This record gives sequence, structure tokens and C-alpha cells, in this order.
Amino acid sequence: MVAFAALVPLLLATLAIGLRGVAAMRTTSDFLVASRRVSPLLNSAAVSGEYLSAASFLGVAGLMLKDGAGALWYPVGFAAGYLAMLVLVAAPMRRSGALTVPDFAEARLGSPWLRRLSAVVVLVVAGLYLVPQLRTAGLVLSAVSPTPYWVGVVIAGAVVATALALGGMRAATYVQAFQFCLKLVLFIVPALWLLALAGPDVRAQAVEPGEYTRFEHDTTVSFRTGVVLRVEEPVVITERDGTRWKAAEGEHRVGAGRTLVFEEGGRVPSVLGSAPPGGPDWHRPLLATVGDGYPLLSTLSVLTATVLGTMGLPHVIMRFHTSPDGRSARRTAAITVALLGVFYLFPGVYGALSRVLVPHLYLSGATDTAVVALPAQVDQGWQGTLLTALLTAGAFAAFLATSMGLLLVVAGAVAHDLLPGGLRRLRAAVLGAAAVAVPPALYAAGIDAGILVTWGFTVAASTFCPLLVLGIWWRRLTPAGALAGVAAGLAASSGAIAVALFGPDVPGWAGVLVAQPAPWTVPLAFAVMVAVSLAGRPPAWARTAVLRLHLDDDHRGPSLR
Amino acid sequence: MDRPRRVAVTSPQTRLAHARGRARGRWRVARLDPADAERAEHLLRRQRRQAVAALLLTGLVLVGLPVLLWSRPDLDAARLLGVPASWIIIGAVPYPAMAAVGLWQLLRAERIERGR
Repeated sequence: MVAFAALVPLLLATLAIGLRGVAAMRTTSDFLVASRRVSPLLNSAAVSGEYLSAASFLGVAGLMLKDGAGALWYPVGFAAGYLAMLVLVAAPMRRSGALTVPDFAEARLGSPWLRRLSAVVVLVVAGLYLVPQLRTAGLVLSAVSPTPYWVGVVIAGAVVATALALGGMRAATYVQAFQFCLKLVLFIVPALWLLALAGPDVRAQAVEPGEYTRFEHDTTVSFRTGVVLRVEEPVVITERDGTRWKAAEGEHRVGAGRTLVFEEGGRVPSVLGSAPPGGPDWHRPLLATVGDGYPLLSTLSVLTATVLGTMGLPHVIMRFHTSPDGRSARRTAAITVALLGVFYLFPGVYGALSRVLVPHLYLSGATDTAVVALPAQVDQGWQGTLLTALLTAGAFAAFLATSMGLLLVVAGAVAHDLLPGGLRRLRAAVLGAAAVAVPPALYAAGIDAGILVTWGFTVAASTFCPLLVLGIWWRRLTPAGALAGVAAGLAASSGAIAVALFGPDVPGWAGVLVAQPAPWTVPLAFAVMVAVSLAGRPPAWARTAVLRLHLDDDHRGPSLR
Repeated sequence: MDRPRRVAVTSPQTRLAHARGRARGRWRVARLDPADAERAEHLLRRQRRQAVAALLLTGLVLVGLPVLLWSRPDLDAARLLGVPASWIIIGAVPYPAMAAVGLWQLLRAERIERGR
């Protein structure tokens, strides 16, 4: 309940700051890009605030607990994305004068069909990204307080949609900048505090991970989704109603909603489809997404998706359009790289502590709650409770800021690109999009935030990344080439994800490339775009359309602003 | 006496435009003055060269570090302040390196635009 109480001031502050944005809200530009008057420092705080989502705040530590130290490559890719953005996209993109990515596509290539296709891609990416945010909100709230999963999902959806529908991008900017500072404090202070509180023994174990084989004390595990446990040595289990039984060797199905207490000293059962944390591969600093045969390929695949995907994330690109000119957009990107770097020094601390203190979360598949579950293991008194409350508030700030940006681009795609309308339709689209995103989140409890988000990155990397890079730097790009490339990238990446989700298991390196398809879908999209463009002829104005993106701000007449 | 009712005064064309929605203007062919075009052409070429250099540097960090860790498993056993050296290489080294590349790219790109 204390954790719940910590959320109330956060939610109220979010709504109050959101209301500040309502003043002087008249046009689409006011709503979508805060009238383009945001300074680089405020904007980079807002960019970072929006970007540090559930995947960063909770997902990385959770993935590290589950998959090992190699999960720390995810944040490296997340931060490197802004470097790619800074080098290739930020300033020219801002100078295009477009409000959204579909706008940019039309401004550069003059094709309404490309605009519609881009709007569809925005919806796919934002959907893959929004659902895990809401899902984790529900999961965290149910982990720290006795509320059902759906309550957190609905609260997060409702607060974000209300603040955004009223205040638009101006509200989102202040809220996200405020929440970046909040998240930074609420992530770093508890990390140091926990390290100090945990004592020398835990700290020593954290850097010397052994395999998790024995329950070191009576361990309570709540299963929110059904799993199959393979028991290798009989283990005594106490049910919630007090009955004790001994699980024999072999496979046992545990249904969703059960809570079991495993007796001290028993051998830890293994979960089908994953290795216990702390094993021989766990401490290796490379990712092994499928089996453990191709760690280098897996690592580079994830890096490709996250680095190139960041460039194409529609809600991130939209933030750059709030800068007054190209130069400040570029400065925003540069400051963002540094700000993110500070934050990402700490997920590893939580991950290493989780292996020592809450390894049992791997049994229930709830590794995403590791960060908020830690304090209670370190201290049973007021310090533990306070730290749980702080971390819960920080995690909620993460969902709120990211979901806000995502809802805004969804609204932009629907009410600005697909069915152009005024301010009223934009506001209605925000509420509508939130209503559509909540139901899938109610059913997605079993999929890790990190995985879903990486798929969002993969689709973005295979569609918008080639569109933006070639659109900005290559004057021979034709509308037909861009259409074909975006369509090929969308089909290939979403097809691979569909096979990974619903299809048969693919063994070996091919399996890595199905689960993490970016290394072949991105080159494919680039190749299709280049080949189709070379077969055609670019329009006569293509040269000018490219050059005006690179003309510096001091030489731009009023017609180019 | 009743207060007079306030009415909005707009031209019929404005009303029509409002009713249609005014999300975006019509698409127009891009135009650029010849002098500006020449300047932009020069900037594009120099920025492209700078971008390639910055990308190579970024790629060196992002491909080089995984390859280093993959080829040198002994780094897992080595310790720096008690922490495995390989954890420091992924957890701490990339961020200052990337921030430095970012700063360099920013300064170079702005210098190119100021006209060398």
C-alpha cells in the first residue's frame, strides 16, 4: 500500500504539469510539436525521459537475471541509436519542416501512398512498443501491492490519455523532462542505497555468480502465467492453503495464479526453454538468444536492431521536430547520448544484485519485476519499504513518459496522416488509441518487455531507417523505390516476428535470424530501395528536395523554415 | 436589457477551411535559390564525409567490443576493483566512448556549417 501511495503524487504531478500545456493550444503544430520552441537541454531531457521506458528501467535488469550479463548490450544499443541519429538524421530531418515521419516522406518524395504506408508502419511500431509499457505497469503494481494485474494497466492508460488529450506535445515535453530527472534520481539513489544496505557478502556474491541450484531459504514464488517446471530431484512444496506435498522427478505444469513455497535446501527445478541464472554461460558478456551456440551473432543482431531502430522510432523522431531549428535538433541528440549514458551505468547493478537476491523470479517468468522486488529482500524494515516505493514510482514514471510519446504518434498517424483533421480529431484519436492499446496489454502478461520492445525496434530499423538515411543522403531515391523498400522491410520483419511467435522452432543460426531478424531485414530493405530506385528515374526536383535538408540554418530564408 | 449574444465573425472561406480540417498544406515542389543550392551542395558533400568518419568510429566501438569479448574469454576471469573486467567493458566503457564520439561529431558538423 505504501508503494501505491507513492504513485499518487506522481500521477497528480503528471496531470498538473500536463495541464500547463493546455494554454495557447490552437493548431495542429501546437499539439503535435509544441509550436517548435523547445530548447536543446529541455528537449534532450524530454527525449531521454520518453526513451527510458519500462524496457530500460526494469527490462534490462530482468533480462540480465534471465539471460546473463550479455543483456547489458541492449542499453548499449539503445544509447548508440542516438549517436546514429545525431550523425545521420537529426538536423536534416528537422529542416524538412515535417511534423511526422509520414510528413517527411511526403515532403521529400511527394507521394501520398508513401505517406499512408508510413502511417501504417508508425501504427505497427508504436503498437509493439506501447503494449509492453502498459503490461509492465500492471505487472509492477501487482508485484508490490495486492492489486490485480489489470488495475495497473488501466490506471496507466487512463492517466496518459487524459494528460495528453488535454495538453498535447507541450504537456508531454514538460512531463517527460520532469520524469527524466525523476527517473534518474529514482534509479541511481536506490541502486547505491541497496549496494550499501546489502552488505559485503551480497556484494561479493554479485560479482562471483554461481549457478542457482539450491533454494537457500524457504522461497515463495507467485506464478502469474502458466509454466512447465522440470523437477530433477524431489522437492517439498507448500501450497497457499498449507498443504505440503513432494514433487516427484519429471515435468509439472503450474497454472497461472498459483503461489507455491519451495522448501529450503531443495534442488531448484528448471523451466522449459531457459537456463537457470548464474550458470556457466550466464556471466559471459555476450547474448545467447536461442540456445547458446551463436553468442556473437546474437549480440550483433540485437545491436543492429536497437541502433538502427532508434533512428526510425516515430515517437523519438517526433521529439526532434519540437526543436526550433536543425542546429538545436543536433545538439539535442548529442546531449541525449550523454544523459542516457549516465542512466545506463546502473541497470547492471540491479541485474547483478537480482541474481543473488531474487533468482527465484526466473521460475515464474516474472524477471521484469526484479528491480522492484529487490529492496524487500535486502531490508524488511522502513528502508526496504521506502526503496520499493521509490522504485515503483520511478518505474511508473517510465511507463507514463514513454506511453505518452507513443500515444501522441499514434494519434498523429491516425488524425494527421491517414484521416487529416483538426485539433478535436487529434484529441479524440488519443483517447481512441489508448482504448485500443489496453486490451492486448491485458493478455500480454507472459512476454518480456525487452523482447517486445526489440521487435518494435526491428520493424522500425527495417522500414524507417532506410527511408530516412537514403531520403536524406541519396538524391536518386524515387517514390517507387521508397515504397517498395518500406513494404519489403515491413513484410520481412513482421513475418519473421510472426514465425518466432507462432511458428515452429527453428534450430541453429537460422533460429537466431528468425528471433532477431534485423541483420538481414535491414540490408534487404536498403537493397530493394536502391534497386527499384536505380531502375526508375528520380523526379526533376529531387536534387533540390535533398539539398534544402542540408542548407544551414543561417542561410535559410523564411520560405524554408 | 439582455447582454448581446457574442458571435464568431469569419469569412465563409475560413469557415469552410476550418470544417475541412487544416492539418497540413498542399504539397509543393521544393525550391532553392541557385546560390543557396551551390552552398548546400558543398555542405552536403562535407557533411557526408564527416558522417562516414563518425559512423566508422561508432562501428569500431559497437562491433569491436563484442568481437574482443568473444575472442578473449579470459577477460571474464580478470578483475578490476573486484568486478569482472568483461562486465566493465560492456557496462561502463561504451557510454563515455559514445558520448565522446557524439561531442566530436557535433563540433565538426557545426564547424562545417559555419564555413570552415
